Amino acid sequence: MRGATQTKWLVAATAIALAATACSTSSKSSDKAASGGGTIAVQLGEPQHGLIPQNTAESEGAEVLNALFAGLVEYDNKTNEPKLRVAESIESPDSKVWTIKLKDGYTFHNGEKVTAQSFVDAWNWGANQDNAAEGLPFFAKIDGSADLAPGKDKKPTTDKLKGLTVVDDKTFTVALTAPFSQFKTMLGYNAFYPLPKAFFADKKTFEEAPIGNGPFQMDGKWEHNQQIKVKRYDNFPAADGKAKLQGVTFKIYDKLETAYNDLRADNIQATDKLPISAMGTVKGEFGDRYIYKPESGVGYIGFPIATNPATYGKPEIRKAISMAIDREAITKTIFSGTRVPADDFINPLIPGYRKGAMGDAAKYDPAKAKSIFDTAGGVPNNTLELGYNADGGHKEWIEAVANQLKKNLGVEVTLKPFEKFGKILDALGEKQYSGGFRMAWSMDYPSIENYLRPIFSKVAIENGSNYGGYVNEQFETLLDQADQAKSPEEGQKLYQQADDILVQDLPYIPVYTYMSSAAYSKKIKNFDTDAQGRMNLDEVELAG
Amino acid sequence: MGRYVIRRLIQAIPVLIGATFLIYWLCFSLPGDPVQALAGEKKADPLVAEMIRQKYHLNDPFLLQYWNYITGVFQGDLGESLTGRSVSEMISEAFPFTVNLAIVAFVIEAIIGVLAGVMAALRKGKFLDQLVLISTLFVISIPVFVTGFVLQLVLGVKLKNDYGIEIFSVSFNEEDGLRAYLLPAFVLASTSLAYVARLTRTSLMETMRADYVRTAVAKGLKRRRVIGRHALRNALIPIVTFLGADLGGLMGGAVITEKIFNIHGIGGLLAQAVYQKQGTIIVGVVTLLVMIYLVTTLLVDLLYAVLDPRIRYE
Repeated sequence: MRGATQTKWLVAATAIALAATACSTSSKSSDKAASGGGTIAVQLGEPQHGLIPQNTAESEGAEVLNALFAGLVEYDNKTNEPKLRVAESIESPDSKVWTIKLKDGYTFHNGEKVTAQSFVDAWNWGANQDNAAEGLPFFAKIDGSADLAPGKDKKPTTDKLKGLTVVDDKTFTVALTAPFSQFKTMLGYNAFYPLPKAFFADKKTFEEAPIGNGPFQMDGKWEHNQQIKVKRYDNFPAADGKAKLQGVTFKIYDKLETAYNDLRADNIQATDKLPISAMGTVKGEFGDRYIYKPESGVGYIGFPIATNPATYGKPEIRKAISMAIDREAITKTIFSGTRVPADDFINPLIPGYRKGAMGDAAKYDPAKAKSIFDTAGGVPNNTLELGYNADGGHKEWIEAVANQLKKNLGVEVTLKPFEKFGKILDALGEKQYSGGFRMAWSMDYPSIENYLRPIFSKVAIENGSNYGGYVNEQFETLLDQADQAKSPEEGQKLYQQADDILVQDLPYIPVYTYMSSAAYSKKIKNFDTDAQGRMNLDEVELAG
Repeated sequence: MGRYVIRRLIQAIPVLIGATFLIYWLCFSLPGDPVQALAGEKKADPLVAEMIRQKYHLNDPFLLQYWNYITGVFQGDLGESLTGRSVSEMISEAFPFTVNLAIVAFVIEAIIGVLAGVMAALRKGKFLDQLVLISTLFVISIPVFVTGFVLQLVLGVKLKNDYGIEIFSVSFNEEDGLRAYLLPAFVLASTSLAYVARLTRTSLMETMRADYVRTAVAKGLKRRRVIGRHALRNALIPIVTFLGADLGGLMGGAVITEKIFNIHGIGGLLAQAVYQKQGTIIVGVVTLLVMIYLVTTLLVDLLYAVLDPRIRYE
C-alpha cells in the first residue's frame, strides 16, 4: 500500500512539473517568419548590454542599433567615406569648433522630433562617468569632458559638456579640446546616436525596447536569448530610404554552425557571420548569394619593447622576424582564404590605405631575414617566446609562425598559451610576460587615424592598445599635426607620414587583415554588409 | 518515513550554504578581471572598467562581497549580472527550457534504455542481444557533438531540403512545442541511454539466476509475472540509482546539446558565466543545481523502499 501511494505522488509531481513548464513555453508564440509577405529572419548573437547606443561597444548590439537608429553620418559602402545622413552639414573652419546642422523630417519612433537637443542630451549622458557607459572614451575629445569624467574616486562636477552648445532646434556646435580633422568620420559610430526624452524618463524600459530614429522600430520587447523583432517605421523620411521589408526578426544563436544549418534549411534568410567549418562548402551551396569581402580588422604580432628591450628593442630584429613570416602560406593554408596578407598598418578598406606601404618588411625573404637578424646580433639565448589566447582559434597560425621563425632564423621558439585574451593583457600589464604576443585591432570608425593613435601613441599605453610600450616622438608630432589639419584630406597625408614611421619601427608586425563572409537565402535580394560587418537591412527586399 | 524526509531536508541546509560559499570563493579566486572578460578582444577603458567595478563592489574584500551576496539571497534577491540584468530573471528564463529538455530526455532514456536492456537480457547471446551490445558501444564511443551535428544536418537540413519532410527542426523553435525537443533530447539522452540498457541487461541477468526467481519459476508462475514482479523489480534498484543521479546531470550537463540546437537553457548560461567570471550568476545556477541533486537523490532513496519493501526508513 505504501509503495502504491508513493508512486502516485511521484507521478503527480512529475505531471505538475511538466504542466508548469509546458505552460511557460506555449505563452510566447510568434508568427512564422515570411508568412506576412515581407518579413525575414536573420542571425544574431545575444547582445551584451541593454540596447543603449552610448553603452554598446560590441558587434551584436551594434547590429540591432544600426536598424533602429540613424546617425549624423553613415559610411559609403564602397569607399567608406562618411556621407551625411541626419546632418545637413558638418563644418569647421579650424577643425576645432564644429557646427552641425540637422535635416528636417527625422522623428523618433514615439513621434518626438529629432532636434539638436536630442544629440546634446545623449552625448552628455554618455560622457558622464557615473553612467559607466562603454562609449565614454569617444567623448574625450569634446571640451569639458574632463569635468564629467574626472577619473577614479572623483565625482563629476557637472553633467553637461562645456563644448556642446545648442544654437537652435536644428543647429548645435561642438568645441573640441584640440583640433581633430577626422571628427566628422567619428560621428557615424553608435555612441553618437541621439536619444529621445523617453530614455531619460525610464532607462530600464528603454534598454529592452529602445526608441530610435532609424528605418526600423522595435516590435515588442527584446526576448532575451530568443529573438529581437523589429518592424518598418513608416514615418522615416523617404529621402533617406524607408525600409523595404515589413519586419525583421533577429534570431539569437549561440553557435554559428547552428545558424548556418538554419540558413541552409531556409529557416533564417541571412547571416553575416559564417562558421569556419562552412568555408569549404558555402560557395557551392550559395553561389553568388555568398558575399566575401574585406573587413576592418588587422592581426598583428606584438612585441613588449618597453619590458624586454634586450630581445625586442632593435627595429632590425623586428624587421627580420617580419620578413621570416610567410604571410601568404598562413592566410591560404591555415585560414583557408578568410584572411589576406597585410602590407600596411592601415586596413585596405580605409581611405588612406596604400598598397604595399610596408615594402620589404612585409615580403617573405628568409635569406635576407636571416642576414638582418644575424647582423643585428640575434636575441639573447637565441630564443623567442610567442603568446596567444587559446580560446579564439589562434593556436594554428601562431604555431605556423613559430615554425617559420625556427626554420628561417635558426632560433628556438617557445609557445605560451593563455586561457583567454584578457589574461595576456593582464600578464603584459603586470609585466609578468615579456614575450611576443598576438594582437588584433578592429576599427571604431573608418579613419586612418583609428589605426594609429589608439594602438601606437604614447597615450595608448595607458588608455589604449599600446601593449608594447612603443614611444616615438616624431610619430607623436605627426599625429598632432594631422589632427590639426584644416581638412580631412590634408590630415590623411600627414597620418600617412606617421604610418611611414611605423613601417620603419615596426612596433607590431601586421600579419593579416580579415575578410568577412556572409550568405543569404534565395528568398531575398539586395543584401550586403558594411565595413563594420553589419547588414544593410533597410535595403533588403524579398525576391520575386 | 515523514521524519526521515524532514531530516534529509534539514541536512540540505548546511550543504547549500557550504556549496554557495565554496563556489563564491572559487569564483573570487579565479584569476583575471571579470570586467575585462566582458570587453572581449578589446581592452576595457580603464575609467569605465573602474566605474563598473565600483558599481558592483568588485573591489571589496571577499568576505564582505559574500556577506552582501548571501544577505541578498535571504531577502530573495539573487543579485545582478555585470551587464545589469537580474540573475533570478535570467535563471527563470533559462530554466523551463532545460527542465523540458531534461524531462523529455529522461523519459526517452528510461523507456528505451530499460526496454532494450530487458530484451537483451532475455535473449542472451542471440541476435537482439548482440544488436543492443554493439549499438550501445557505438553510441558510447561517439562524442555528443558529433552525434548532434550529424543528426541536425541529416534530419534537420537534408530531410527538409531534399524530401520536403520537416519533422525535426534544425534549431530550437518555441512554437514547435514538444517536437522541438525531440531531437536534442534524443542526442542528450543517447549516452546515458546506452548505459541504462547495458546496466539493465547485466542486472536483470544476475537476478534471473537468484534463488527466489528459481522458486517462482518452480511454483509454476507465468514467465511474464516472474520477470515483471520478481526479477525486474529487484534488478531496477541500481538502474534507479543511475537514473536519479543522471537527472541532475541532464540539467547541468546539457551545455553541448543546448549549444548545438540553440536552446538557451541553464547549461549555456552557466558556461558563459564561468567564462566571463560572473560570480553571481554561477552561484545562483549552481545553488539551483545542488537543490535539484538533493531532491532527486532523496526521491531515489525513497523509491528503493517502493521497489524493495525490506528497505525501510524510520
